[in-house]
Amino acid sequence: MAHDALGPGAGAEMQCRSHPRGWEMSLRLRVRFSKVGKIRFIGHRDVARVTERAVRKVGLPVAYSQGFSPRMKLSFGLALPTGYESDAEFVELPLVADAVRDPSAAEPGARHAAGPVIAGRSGDHAPCEHGPPSAAPSYCTVAEALSEALPMGMDVSAVTLVDGRGPSLQAAVHSCGWEFDIVGLDATAAAKAVADFLAAGTVVTERVHKGETVSSDIRPSVEVLQVVGCSDRGAVLSAELSATPRVVRPSELVPALAPALEMGIARRTHQWTSGAAGRAEPAVPAVCAQRHKEPISG
Amino acid sequence: MTTLWPRLEPLLPRVSKPARYIGCEDGMQRPTVGPHLTSWLLAYPDTYEIGLPNQGLQILYELLNERPDASAERTYAPWIDLEAEMRAAGLPLFSVDTHRAADEFDIIAFNLSAELVYTNVLNCIDLAGLEVRSAQRSDADPLIGAGGHCAYNPEPLADFVDFFVVGDGEEVVSEITEAVGAWKRTGKRPGTRATILRDLAGIEGVYVPAMYDVAYDGPAVAAVTPKYPDVPAQVAKRTVADLAEWPYPRRQLVPVTEVVHDRLSVEVFRGCTRGCRFCQAGMITRPVRERPAAQVREMVTAGLERSGYDEVSLMSLSTADYSGIAELVRDTVTGGNITAGEAGGTSDTAGGAGASNTNGADANRISVSLPSMRVDAFTVDVAAQVSRARRTGLTFAPEAGSWRLRQIINKLITEEDLYGAVRSAYSQGWHRMKLYFLTGLPSEMDPDTEAIAHLADACTRIGQEYTKRASVTVSLGGFVPKPHTPFQWFGQNPPEELARKVRLVRSALGRNRRVQLKWHDPAASTAEGIVSRGDRRVGAVIEYVWRKGGTFQEWSERFDLGLWEEAMAACGLSLDWYVYRHRGPHEVLPWDHIGAGLHRDFLWHDWQDALAGHGLPDCRWTPCYDCGACTEYGIEHMVASPVAPNGGSQGTGQDLATGHMVPVELRPRQLAGAGAPSGNGA
Repeated sequence: MAHDALGPGAGAEMQCRSHPRGWEMSLRLRVRFSKVGKIRFIGHRDVARVTERAVRKVGLPVAYSQGFSPRMKLSFGLALPTGYESDAEFVELPLVADAVRDPSAAEPGARHAAGPVIAGRSGDHAPCEHGPPSAAPSYCTVAEALSEALPMGMDVSAVTLVDGRGPSLQAAVHSCGWEFDIVGLDATAAAKAVADFLAAGTVVTERVHKGETVSSDIRPSVEVLQVVGCSDRGAVLSAELSATPRVVRPSELVPALAPALEMGIARRTHQWTSGAAGRAEPAVPAVCAQRHKEPISG
Repeated sequence: MTTLWPRLEPLLPRVSKPARYIGCEDGMQRPTVGPHLTSWLLAYPDTYEIGLPNQGLQILYELLNERPDASAERTYAPWIDLEAEMRAAGLPLFSVDTHRAADEFDIIAFNLSAELVYTNVLNCIDLAGLEVRSAQRSDADPLIGAGGHCAYNPEPLADFVDFFVVGDGEEVVSEITEAVGAWKRTGKRPGTRATILRDLAGIEGVYVPAMYDVAYDGPAVAAVTPKYPDVPAQVAKRTVADLAEWPYPRRQLVPVTEVVHDRLSVEVFRGCTRGCRFCQAGMITRPVRERPAAQVREMVTAGLERSGYDEVSLMSLSTADYSGIAELVRDTVTGGNITAGEAGGTSDTAGGAGASNTNGADANRISVSLPSMRVDAFTVDVAAQVSRARRTGLTFAPEAGSWRLRQIINKLITEEDLYGAVRSAYSQGWHRMKLYFLTGLPSEMDPDTEAIAHLADACTRIGQEYTKRASVTVSLGGFVPKPHTPFQWFGQNPPEELARKVRLVRSALGRNRRVQLKWHDPAASTAEGIVSRGDRRVGAVIEYVWRKGGTFQEWSERFDLGLWEEAMAACGLSLDWYVYRHRGPHEVLPWDHIGAGLHRDFLWHDWQDALAGHGLPDCRWTPCYDCGACTEYGIEHMVASPVAPNGGSQGTGQDLATGHMVPVELRPRQLAGAGAPSGNGA
């Protein structure tokens, strides 16, 4: 079913390893995924571990580091604080040099392919007869296969093939979009707090960094801030916060907006990079249907 | 059924490692509840990271959920930060599967893998909102059960736990489920709790402490006697005869956060007859029952494919003794039977149809970890195979520094065996390894202790032939005598003596910078000793320590011997009586009414043989000496090979298969069935 939704451009077939090498190019799979529900409580390193296992389960031909203790070379975007939800997490998977055969798939820049067709367990699909394996019934898209292999609450919404020589995601992202609610804050009070915040020239808040309390002015980091609705806990705010020189978290805004109240749940909605035509996301969701997604907690 | 998740969720951002409370593992079941289902809450009384990998708990979790009349969920001890939040919020202990309150279950069953977790057992019962003492719980309350190796001396927890399971749990949980289910369908009416307990006491392998009276003679136990004629005088352990019938876990839980053994585990055999005299596990799990090689391969293949792990642990008490271990390791590492493209889901891929891993890089290789690897089996070949993927940590356990002492503990490994293993490892690229020793062993004298340093030093010298970075970590544990072993009569060394022996090793090591010395806190060994061989009166000590906040005593930052000493004094009990004195041949031991299959007579003779320096061979490959484990239960060893793998020297440097005499003195024994040994596979 989702095959149609993924569009016809999803062309890059992974090469059968016994097949003569036709094309070599440094390529990465860029994967966008969500993290919602109970799974929001796993840490960044845990995300790396479950992703690594999912990639192995799917059998993607991902490159490993060399040496004493070879590890899968995964690179993530900006780390998401433990306990936060997200619709916009990214991981890039460098592919082994000869994994991709189709030259057209190697065009620089992101192709919104969402699902290069590969074998369920690639790299050694023995019966391959020097042809594209797309006729076999067990093939499915990378996005679907990865979603299936990841824990509940982590769903892949886009897979694109990108040139492996570009800058790292972590360096490219300049700001993040967020939605968060503040427990016990009503819409009217929220609107006033936001207006006051935006009107202020400086907003100094404190946070604990490496065991020390640090104060800093977060106002310059807040590019957008507005009230967008109400959850059963309180007002829901939307914000765009810059990621440079450091990543400002929604929780840092709460003491300035409602000093006595606590943040409910924050969800990252976007990670923004600079594109040719203004800002752009590293990959835009192409899969609408999310698999067995849990309702937003609370 | 109500989930506590909405109340738990707001607490989690405030605690450390919240991922340990969310469940969400691959392999997690989604149990249903209902009046027709006996619901089990399987509890591991330590943190999630420690408890999740426990294979025993996972096996029962799957077995129970496969039954149409049962369901099972899991819980782990919440760390102190969450416990404080839960108590403040009035939130009870919950399952990690559906976050249901613990007191909604019919049975809360604890895994007892170590003695120092006992205070956590009480804490979990209390967090569940129940009275900790069995006698004070009411009819409708969940039944509290316990199993695992520590259940072989159940007495210290006898006042808190309603029933214990002794031995393998695979079969007995069904019988318990049926008994409790019948009781549940009658509505658990007032006054019927005693009836279900008596029913449970009639199930083989189930011990219900309330059905027994304990009589004392001063500080000694005089007798433990059943209160009713239908209650057995001795509770015999349960033993699964054939592991092939139990290919579990089929769907090992793959956690979403880091745990201590984060890899696939496949049990290759259960039981061990090496006969190391300090080792409780080796005594109580006899006989040896190997899993058929084809099934092991199938479980490895299916498990790796399903889980996404790239590391598998071949589990047993002494994995190198598995028949055909070399081939198994080789095939597992090369993935010959693992990554064959179309292998997914097919059952028997043993032999692998020669499908080699077509991805030539080593990166996709499977790491194999071999716990409990005897040095006499760690050959260059095995070392080379294991190192082909990732070089995992390597631990050898000579256990004692001198050959004299190794004969006494029956760990028949020569220095040459150790050096051979160490050489194999260094030559295959390792540059550090860990050597594990016990100190405070029976008859241990200072030269035995100092010999540890000499062994370690010799190992680093071998290492220097291969790498400048060669080093060795020596890990010293204080010996705690365990029930149902030949050393159960031995008086444990006091902490001062253990500490002195640690210093002895340290000074013998001198300025050797290539050897790093680590040791287990001697004070913790003392507390473990109180509980390990304690009787029913020690229950009050455990409760005292728990009430004073002494939870997580396995954790060095939480352990406090002062609390245990205070508790012993408050209860009028003597450390010397319980821990340090040697026990006599006629003394009633507090666990005598629990049957591990071993004749008490056999254990006593083996204890005397130990003191005389006599060794005892492995009855898997040599004639039966009738310890009782097989003959008492009419079961046998199940091994695929009549000779030991890897030459089978048993540490003697000689090949037993060719009939050479073992170069240690063996006291001849009365053979079962007049020299026609049955069930040793030889």
